[in-house]
Amino acid sequence: MRFAPVLHAEWLKVRTVRSLPGALFALFAVTTAFSAVAGVDGASDPESDPLFTALSGAAVGQIAAVSFGAMAVSAEYHNGALRLSLGAVPRRGRWFAAKITAIAVPTLLVGLPAALAALLAARAGLGDTASGLSTAEQVRGVLGCGVYLTLMALLAAGLATLLRSGVATLSVLIPFILVVSFVIGDAAGTAADFLPDRAGQVVLRQTSEGTLGPWTGLAVTALWAAAALLAGAWSLRRRDA
Amino acid sequence: MTSIDVQDLTKEYGARRAVDHLTFRVLPGRVTGFLGPNGAGKSTTMRLVLGLDHPTSGSATVGGRAYATLTEPLRHVGALLDAQAAHGSRTGRDHVRVLAASHRIPDRRVDEVLEETGLGPVARHRVRTYSLGMRQRLGIAAALLGDPAVVMLDEPSNGLDPEGIVWIRSLLRRLADEGRTVLVSSHLMNETAVFADHLVVLGRGRLLADTPMREFIDARVRPAVRIRTSDATALKNALARHGHDAEEHPDGHWTVPGARVDDIGRLASAAGVPILELTADQGTLEQAYLDLTAAETEFTAQPQEA
Repeated sequence: MRFAPVLHAEWLKVRTVRSLPGALFALFAVTTAFSAVAGVDGASDPESDPLFTALSGAAVGQIAAVSFGAMAVSAEYHNGALRLSLGAVPRRGRWFAAKITAIAVPTLLVGLPAALAALLAARAGLGDTASGLSTAEQVRGVLGCGVYLTLMALLAAGLATLLRSGVATLSVLIPFILVVSFVIGDAAGTAADFLPDRAGQVVLRQTSEGTLGPWTGLAVTALWAAAALLAGAWSLRRRDA
Repeated sequence: MTSIDVQDLTKEYGARRAVDHLTFRVLPGRVTGFLGPNGAGKSTTMRLVLGLDHPTSGSATVGGRAYATLTEPLRHVGALLDAQAAHGSRTGRDHVRVLAASHRIPDRRVDEVLEETGLGPVARHRVRTYSLGMRQRLGIAAALLGDPAVVMLDEPSNGLDPEGIVWIRSLLRRLADEGRTVLVSSHLMNETAVFADHLVVLGRGRLLADTPMREFIDARVRPAVRIRTSDATALKNALARHGHDAEEHPDGHWTVPGARVDDIGRLASAAGVPILELTADQGTLEQAYLDLTAAETEFTAQPQEA
């Protein structure tokens, strides 16, 4: 069985259920809107990292990305939908690869423009506060933001495959992103820097203070996502559908 | 020849053995009814054939190959396992298009199977607006999509309206007449009796019978002759003279067990007994099935299959 038709089928699945394109739209809207607001707020605070302020919408937008990844997978664990999918594509590894691609590519394609729009919207508010940002830093921030959002969607997709439930996945990830990371994060030990969201968000800062740099931080998030996907793939192969 | 071959198939879920050393063959050109109470292992067997569940031991193949090794399996095997599997927010047409896309089947064929199953007018409606009967039709449309040589349907008449039940009977007949291998599970005896040529009967995961339906019934239910007359005494005497034991029923008809219509007709005529009605009272599938399962009383009140 060829990969392209399988990918086409998975892409059609994403396109034809309203809530999935809806989540991607929310990803764009929320990231841009929160950055715009942060830009206006941040203009009065010259101490803050201007790049991080400009891309801070991603901290909220990632919830949409995580929801997208989790929902795209969890629809398969409803009423035996997975049986139908694997009936059509019995090569489970190939099917999962197509599923992951159909999640990653749209997230990246929406995440990159969302990051760019967020930066532009925030800079309108930041004014002179952002004048110290170099072009290279801004390009790195936008690219990194798009990749970060995609990795978070993949982390959710892997976890949803392992847990076979979108609700379980979101009730692990969202409190984790919103609460745990903040609480532990303020204690700023080196271990906390390696949490998937904190590590990946280093790329959104103009200057990194912790152990991880922008790209190494993103690599740590990528490792988390890869681990979740591998665990999901292992579970998918081993278990009865 | 595309047959389904189940060889010494066993599937255990924890301590529970859902399928127990099952061996049978489903041949093309006829409709095979897959019978058994809920929890007998019918659905599990179908999932094992489709490679969805991993067998504990034994094997199941389609046309000599394991399902998982088929390239573009929908072109070989069409299956309906669960009518609820379609996503409620997707339209019926998109549901089938997704399956078609994975096999590079054109949308033209999608519309064709939707028309064939009577879903043409609602193809662009969301599945959540469908009745159970319409979902069954959608599942059948998906099963027929790849024009498969093997068709496997799990309880397809569930939720169908009377018109739908008549439709599915003629569909199953047509598929078998086209030389396809058709396996249809059901727990409804009367329904199965109408469409099946051959039976595979399961109980607690074990094979109880694998025979042509007529043989299955005749082996278990003694045929009888049903007769009505205006002269009961004359009939009784005539039958007694030929050594037949007739039973009288409260509504006035008689049954003669183990007799044939031809014999009874001739002897009644020779004796000048007036006959109002004379028919062969063939056993029903239900009688035969109950006779079979009565031996295995443990079947009664089994929990529902997941």
